[in-house]
Amino acid sequence: MQSAVGRVLSIFWIPATTFAMRFIMRYRIPNALNLRRRFRKMVKESDDPILICANHLTMVDSAVMAWALGGSWWYLFNYRRVPWNLPEHSNYGFKWYNRVGVWILKCIPVRRGGRREDIAGVLQRVQYLLRRGDTAIIFAEGGRSRTGRLQLDSIAHGMGRIVNSVRKCRALVVYMRGDRQLTYSAVPARGDSFYVDFELFRPVSENSGMRRSRDFSKQIAEKLVAMEEKYFAGRE
Amino acid sequence: MCHLSEVARLRGLRNTIKGRDFRMDTSEIQSKVVEIIGRYAKNKDALGSVTDETNILEDLKVNSARLVDVILDFEDEFDIEVEDEDADAVNTIGDAVRLIQSKVA
Repeated sequence: MQSAVGRVLSIFWIPATTFAMRFIMRYRIPNALNLRRRFRKMVKESDDPILICANHLTMVDSAVMAWALGGSWWYLFNYRRVPWNLPEHSNYGFKWYNRVGVWILKCIPVRRGGRREDIAGVLQRVQYLLRRGDTAIIFAEGGRSRTGRLQLDSIAHGMGRIVNSVRKCRALVVYMRGDRQLTYSAVPARGDSFYVDFELFRPVSENSGMRRSRDFSKQIAEKLVAMEEKYFAGRE
Repeated sequence: MCHLSEVARLRGLRNTIKGRDFRMDTSEIQSKVVEIIGRYAKNKDALGSVTDETNILEDLKVNSARLVDVILDFEDEFDIEVEDEDADAVNTIGDAVRLIQSKVA
């Protein structure tokens, strides 16, 4: 139901979101063409499920990342590839129209630190969506990086759990950062230019159960940390 | 019947080798659970008055990202394997003890 309504309305909200990012906020992604070429080629080569695992600094990261990877026209014809997002309920849930808005924009609300059964229910929904060929995005630390840098001891277990539980699932590790983004914030600065890099990989582990999920989360987080180090090394 | 007794004998042997008592009682499990969780608890004061109803995240202030490490420590300590779905039911000390009891039984 949510997916069907969002798809019908996507002819409005996808161009509108892109317009807002490109012309109102004046965001720029210098290597967007190359990123989109790589992403589309990757999607074309294999139908295996993809979970996007990313760093998180602002509340619009998922929109900017989706824009960087797909581009609005491509998403209109590949709606399943518009990633599902898991926003924190308290960030928008206080007004009914916000709740309707994010519902249309492929969001599944989550209450971080809430009842474990509720969080498990959200993860199960994501697992179901990936199995049927959709794409989802999950942030490695759950919430935004409070220090502005990835903290390995804050890594959320959910991403490894999803990759572990969905057959043939791959992790698309995405590191994105606005050039003027020092720590976390609500939105990136107007006119900011974004560095975006990604790497697709399939985590491996000889363990089973939770230990295997933990190994997967750890490997994904280590990739992200390496990408962050590469970003800062490039700025020096 | 013969097969079951052999399994029990081997399991007992395994636990003896590991230096543990196979018939661990509830209070013993609980004290080990509290000891393990204590390594990750930010509210150390609350450790002195834990009950079955003590919430691991809210009362003991264990970071939710660290709960996985807690469960993996349970696996090592009690020689059990816990699936992600089993761990979803662990909110309180009592939940953890019941989970471990169900796995070691």
